[in-house]
Amino acid sequence: MNAKQAILAKLKAAQGNRAMTDLPDEPDYPLSQLDSAEQYRQWVELLERNQAVVIETVAADIAEVVTQQMKRLGLKSLLYGENTPFAAQFKAFAAELEATAFDFELDTQAKAFLFEQVDAGITTCHSAIAALGAIVLWPDKNEPRTLSLVPSAHFVVVRREQLYADWPTLLKQQQWQENLPTNVLLISGPSKTGDIQQYMAFGAHGPKHLIVLVV
Amino acid sequence: MTFAPESFRDNVSQALKDQQLRQNIKGATDYFAANRQRTVAADEHFEQLREQGRLIKQRCLAKLPELLEQLEHKLTANGIKVHWAQTTEQANETIAQLLAQHGATRAVKGKSMVSEETELNDHLNARGVETLETDMGEYIVQLEHERPSHILAPAIHKNKVEVAQIFDKHIEGLGYTEDVDALILAARHVMRDKFKQADVGITGVNFAVAQTGTLCLVENEGNGRMCSTVPDLHIAITGIEKVVESLSDIPPLLSLLTRSATGQVLSTYFNMISHPRKSGEKDGPKAVHLVLLDNGRSDAFGDEAFRQTLQCIRCSACMNHCPVYRRVGGHAYGTVYPGPIGQILTPHMQGLDKTQDLPTASTLCGSCAEVCPVKIPIPQLLLRLRMFAQMPDKDEKPVVAGQGAGRKSAEAFIWWLWRYFHQSGRRYRLLTYMLTKMRWALPRVIKPWTDSRELPTVAKMTLHQRVKQRQRQQGAKR
Amino acid sequence: MLAAFICRKLNSMSSLPLRLYPAKPSKVYLYGTCLIDSLYPDSGIAAIELLESQGIEVIFEQAQSCCGQPPYNSGYAHQAAKVAEAQVALFPLPIPIVVLSGSCAGMIRHHYPELLIDHALGAFCERVFELSEFLYHVLNIQLKDKGAPERIALHTSCAARREMHSHISCQKLLQQLTNVTLVEHQDANECCGFGGTFALKHGDISAAMVQDKTHNLLSVKVDRYVSADWGCMANINGALAKQQAPLEGMHIASYLWQRMGGEKS
Repeated sequence: MNAKQAILAKLKAAQGNRAMTDLPDEPDYPLSQLDSAEQYRQWVELLERNQAVVIETVAADIAEVVTQQMKRLGLKSLLYGENTPFAAQFKAFAAELEATAFDFELDTQAKAFLFEQVDAGITTCHSAIAALGAIVLWPDKNEPRTLSLVPSAHFVVVRREQLYADWPTLLKQQQWQENLPTNVLLISGPSKTGDIQQYMAFGAHGPKHLIVLVV
Repeated sequence: MTFAPESFRDNVSQALKDQQLRQNIKGATDYFAANRQRTVAADEHFEQLREQGRLIKQRCLAKLPELLEQLEHKLTANGIKVHWAQTTEQANETIAQLLAQHGATRAVKGKSMVSEETELNDHLNARGVETLETDMGEYIVQLEHERPSHILAPAIHKNKVEVAQIFDKHIEGLGYTEDVDALILAARHVMRDKFKQADVGITGVNFAVAQTGTLCLVENEGNGRMCSTVPDLHIAITGIEKVVESLSDIPPLLSLLTRSATGQVLSTYFNMISHPRKSGEKDGPKAVHLVLLDNGRSDAFGDEAFRQTLQCIRCSACMNHCPVYRRVGGHAYGTVYPGPIGQILTPHMQGLDKTQDLPTASTLCGSCAEVCPVKIPIPQLLLRLRMFAQMPDKDEKPVVAGQGAGRKSAEAFIWWLWRYFHQSGRRYRLLTYMLTKMRWALPRVIKPWTDSRELPTVAKMTLHQRVKQRQRQQGAKR
Repeated sequence: MLAAFICRKLNSMSSLPLRLYPAKPSKVYLYGTCLIDSLYPDSGIAAIELLESQGIEVIFEQAQSCCGQPPYNSGYAHQAAKVAEAQVALFPLPIPIVVLSGSCAGMIRHHYPELLIDHALGAFCERVFELSEFLYHVLNIQLKDKGAPERIALHTSCAARREMHSHISCQKLLQQLTNVTLVEHQDANECCGFGGTFALKHGDISAAMVQDKTHNLLSVKVDRYVSADWGCMANINGALAKQQAPLEGMHIASYLWQRMGGEKS
């Protein structure tokens, strides 16, 4: 008998007791009762409480806002996903901003570039959740997982209509269980740690800056 | 301090004398408890959420073997390989072999209490694999060759000054600084190098979803994402009780975890992994493996009451609120999992014979049960363990290994005698009458009570006698 | 293994449902507790006086001994069960059983069903009340304070707090006393370190806990502290006495009776 068979056999042998399976009904998860405007306010408040920066703008101005923010933070080079809406916009700011597309596979050489040369990454998002103050990313071929992880600043563009009241509602409406991608990520703020005497320090390993551009 | 539950008493004695340690632990646990309280107080549905969490976990445990099979099936279909380990040795060997197959010698580790349980680092180091802990707290304790003293914040037994000294000693070129931002930045630089160069990332798993074949990781720092995304190989290890049935089970459990642990509405990152790198994708590990560990969990599973131990979602609220943990810290227990959860879990992993002092090191105050997000009845499980510690299993299969190890015939006799005198009202009144007559002959020193307290004095007349006397007096008045 | 079958159905102490209280009865049983019996009988008499002053007839069953918590907590459930069974048999009338300790009340009300698993104790357990709970919720007692002004603190035992919610009923009762200022002390809901046999089995941890508790009580500079549990008070008073500190605790029965102008028994 291998380990799997041994473990399963032991568990199955102990399953007989009906008292442990006659369980009462589970209460429902308390869904959000907020209206659209309240949801947005809740979402922004939670993000800002976590030290994310939230900027309301329009799609056409993304590159300009990003350039301003990069200047403010003293950052120079930006990486964006292939086939995303920003590419054309960034060309206009080529003098102030080194913007390149993530058009490579992450091998050793690319890792050196990503870790050492890239100051910021910009992504779109899949959805957002008001009750959690969360932004949901479904990284893909165009916007890889490390784009929102390795650079010390992460810009994420969220459209207002991508905001859902709470997670169960989002799961139910989108039926995630049918087609989960390689990776799904919920983000609620910049990276942080309280591991040294509970002092909250930002930029532990993930991005120190999370800048949310709401369009 | 010696890391073994048998050394509990000596460890406790040492810890109680260490004022700096006590200050550090109290500061950290007060902070966690206050944060939790703030968030919970603001949520009118929290009690309902706890009940939901309890029932979700009980449902998943009721179906545990089926869910584990479904999990394996889905993960495998997704391209994630599943390995089973009955013992910690098997888990370590499995991982060592995977690394050898991949030629991996530089590992970065996300925080995984299960890997502490198996002592994975020691096993891999002996085979020439470098294992760098990347969670800030784990990194600090690793530098000092210590174990984590808390399941969420591994270094709470150290304060800022002590960490500054540790970093000054171990991080080249840093120098001594108590500026926490500078300390974190220094550690970040060290680790970015390692993430970049690592051939394997090893992490734990907070929830494994059977419905979709998904591994879920909760974190604030981003090192878990680094470990599970940057190297070409990702190995996850977790206990068999971590499997949940459906995606819809995640929101309530995650909510309970983050609120109970740190008072957060959501952790900085919630990472859901369902596949290795697919063709066309530019990053992510090319191979992902999951190791499922038993190590005594199936024993706890077999008992109706002890099965509830497996409901634990590793939030640490119990230890943050435990008056014992708050005074002695995590190392004193000598176990991987300290505090109340450690006291009810470790006997199933190591046997009651090796963990004799753990079930009794509690006043059963109930603070832990009050804050447990999945309502594990910890005090009652401690009582049940005390019961089995006194009860040898004779010729039946033990419910808990090492059953009866705590039994002392002197104590068994005392309680027999106690029952003899308390079961009958007449015998009881005789006993107490004798006590009142002998009140001045009773011992003046009863250790350890009298080390720090005066003894109460036995009354001249018992309440029973006073009531009788009072009834006679009232009767005489009429 | 008979003993393995008891205590397998565990009552979840978390979020106990709100209790429905009966109307004021004409008589009650009094459960004195073993500690009060041998060590602090004055509190028992004070409780009887208090209840009788409210027009309640108090029945004291002379055969009562102990709720069984000491062996139960030490893992000797089968010994505890025999004594528990004997206690239950003493209180057959469908009248309230008023218990002079939160931990004993909790033991009888919540843990007897785990201990005496085949005994259908539902109705019996419904009749068990901790004293302050009974005074406040069932009697709706109106206290007239005849004492001099003073500051006090309240210490509630862990079981009283979590199993009987006595911290609320005690607080409500003490707040009725117009000349008494009730002061909150630091970490009031943290254990005092008694835990019965814990104080003997893990004496050093217990000592550290009672040290913190006495420190916190002394810090709020009260004239006395009050508690519904003599177990805790044996511990705390014992430590205060050893420290030669100018503070002592009184059982709530004795305290309320005294404030109402009752004779010290």
